[in-house]
Amino acid sequence: MKNALIAGIGNVLLGDDAAGPYVVRLLEALYKFGNNVEIADLGTPALDLTHRISGLNTVILVDSVASHDDPPGTVLLYAKSDIVGEGPSERLDPHSPALSECLMAAEMLGFSPENVLLVGIVGERYEPGEPLSSAVQQSIGAAIDAILQELEQHGFEFEKRALPIEPGIWWCDADFASIASC
Amino acid sequence: MSQRITIDPITRIEGHLRIDVEVENNTVSNAWASCTMWRGIENILRGRDPRDAWLFTQRFCGVCTTVHAMASVRAVEDALKLEIPLNAQYIRNLILIAHALHDHIVHFYQLSALDWVDVLQIPKADPAATSKLAESLSPWTRNSRNELKAAQDRVNAVASSGQLGIFANGYWGHPAMRLSPDVNLLAFSHYVQALEYQRKALQVVGILGSKTPHIQNLTVGGVANAIDLDNQSALGMEKLELIRTLLTEVTQFVQQVYFIDVCAVAALYPDWFNIGSGVRNYLAVPDLPLDSRGSSYDLPGGYIRGGDLAGVKSFQTASDAVFRQSVTEDVVHAYYEGEKPLHPWAGETQPAFSGWNGEQKYSWVKAPRFNGEPMQVGPLAQVLIGYSQGHPLTRKYADLALEKVAAIGGVRATPAALHSTLGRHAARAIRACMLAELAQKHLQLLTDNIAKGDYTVHNEPVLPSHEVEGVGTHEAPRGTLSHWVVIKNEKIKNYQAVVPSTWNASPRDGKGAHGPYEASLLNTPLAKPEEPLEVLRTVHSFDPCMACACHAFDPSGRKIGIAKIL
Repeated sequence: MKNALIAGIGNVLLGDDAAGPYVVRLLEALYKFGNNVEIADLGTPALDLTHRISGLNTVILVDSVASHDDPPGTVLLYAKSDIVGEGPSERLDPHSPALSECLMAAEMLGFSPENVLLVGIVGERYEPGEPLSSAVQQSIGAAIDAILQELEQHGFEFEKRALPIEPGIWWCDADFASIASC
Repeated sequence: MSQRITIDPITRIEGHLRIDVEVENNTVSNAWASCTMWRGIENILRGRDPRDAWLFTQRFCGVCTTVHAMASVRAVEDALKLEIPLNAQYIRNLILIAHALHDHIVHFYQLSALDWVDVLQIPKADPAATSKLAESLSPWTRNSRNELKAAQDRVNAVASSGQLGIFANGYWGHPAMRLSPDVNLLAFSHYVQALEYQRKALQVVGILGSKTPHIQNLTVGGVANAIDLDNQSALGMEKLELIRTLLTEVTQFVQQVYFIDVCAVAALYPDWFNIGSGVRNYLAVPDLPLDSRGSSYDLPGGYIRGGDLAGVKSFQTASDAVFRQSVTEDVVHAYYEGEKPLHPWAGETQPAFSGWNGEQKYSWVKAPRFNGEPMQVGPLAQVLIGYSQGHPLTRKYADLALEKVAAIGGVRATPAALHSTLGRHAARAIRACMLAELAQKHLQLLTDNIAKGDYTVHNEPVLPSHEVEGVGTHEAPRGTLSHWVVIKNEKIKNYQAVVPSTWNASPRDGKGAHGPYEASLLNTPLAKPEEPLEVLRTVHSFDPCMACACHAFDPSGRKIGIAKIL
């Protein structure tokens, strides 16, 4: 059976770096998926990401991204070739090397996932203990739409919950009014 | 004439470490280690319920999640003088061991082996000869010609594609690379196999902790695992058997592959027993408690000053009074406000960034000191302290390593040779063998205790209203980790984490004493200063992890679309 992983990447304690975990937890609270779809807040998994993505059909990663050209809150989509195209990165931070290196490791070993999408949200602030910036907060809905569209394209089923469940965003006092509006 | 080389970033796993070295006559004459990103996540914890702290500390670092969770609950338990049920101790110990085994395997194969192994020599190897060589070294069953040929084919595929992919960043063909094509192939085939065994170790963490990378089963006072022999979803015989199977496989890999590979690399690069020593003060705390009070341990702790192994001092407990009193942090060369070294309970983390200046402030890492002196922490400290105290398990594997190195390379290696870059790798492999053996022991202790009918996993914490202080320690894969908490009115008043990489990556202190990374680099010979492979070898031997902070993914590839903001 085809299977998919939707993983939030980022450090939840550092402002907009929480965007990935935030989005996947909200997604899980709002939608129901089949048993072949795993949703996980992976934090900053570094090289252990290889184990998580190996052999899967579809991998959707949600992470905060840096951009010189686009304002905070912009949702940017990257394909596998965008991530691995330039070889291993300069290893500038805990998880970006992992994304490219893990994909390359999986590729070398012959376990590379068929479809890879990185849903990137341009962050604004990465201060310890800060909540998501309002620009990032406002882009959550667009990120969720991008995930759902990718799932649909590859034939994975999902349905909206009649009543959202508790999203488990334990690290901040989340504003649940914003959940209802998604 | 001297030249300055800056390596930024240096680790293969966590960025934010910057190394500056000055080179004169192809030899390192001065060195600075710095962290380029502000840490200070501890400030988030002030005012929170101490029983929740571990959930937050587990997010300090994406790689060492469990260790920060464990040190945190131990700190609060120490402050509350709370005992831990035996089952909880064993379950925690098993999680810590499995995590450490995973971490050590990852460190050697994924993060540092390619400093010694030249991947581009592999196409020249002869798989049949390599297989024969492997059989002479180890009983490992996966060194067949076919297995080695498959590994060689993977490298050939990458090499012939014209793009080196995952290998694009290596110093291939560097004059300091000296292994034969066959040995390079053997090590590489184990690099591929290592991925399977590190996953098995993680599975153990997942079964006991209910999730990875962030375990869910901790609680101040014990663990939250339900023990029920008849319920498959609880911790019962079925899960214990699965854990036993996984640990057995990981143990075989550690003892028959990882340990042997490290000994072989050491035997074939014997000059690296004389390079990379640096700070010869060592610190380790006892770990793997064997009773509910934490009064006896399977792994010893203590400290050594100035390389004097005979003068080793012991810590009786994981929060030994000497340890509690002797730790301070100095910020003279770190980007923080403050003048005098402060004890962690009185610690402050107020940033004052001023830009890199090697004479003044140059790092976001504070300089932890023990009785005012820099200390090296990590497997080398653990092994030297255990060895000096005559700890039988440490002696067993350390002596075995020295014998193996002598047998393979015809070189005589003594415990004193361990004060070196290779010594750090050897000590990590020695420690991994010890942990693998202890994993079986603690699993048996847990199984036996449950069989006796003891299902207790938790003692309820009671928070006093008066002020209390505690320290929680863990001898983590990278060395001594300590969390320091002050609790008042049932809330956290102060929280400081003194992490292993802070000890090792420490900048100079107010007295000008180098931290361990810095000191270890002095006098290192460089074959080609423009490709400072030797600097990487020594820094990587510490297993650096600067997860002081993280930032956004910045792919250099092109965007394939922009989703509209609703």
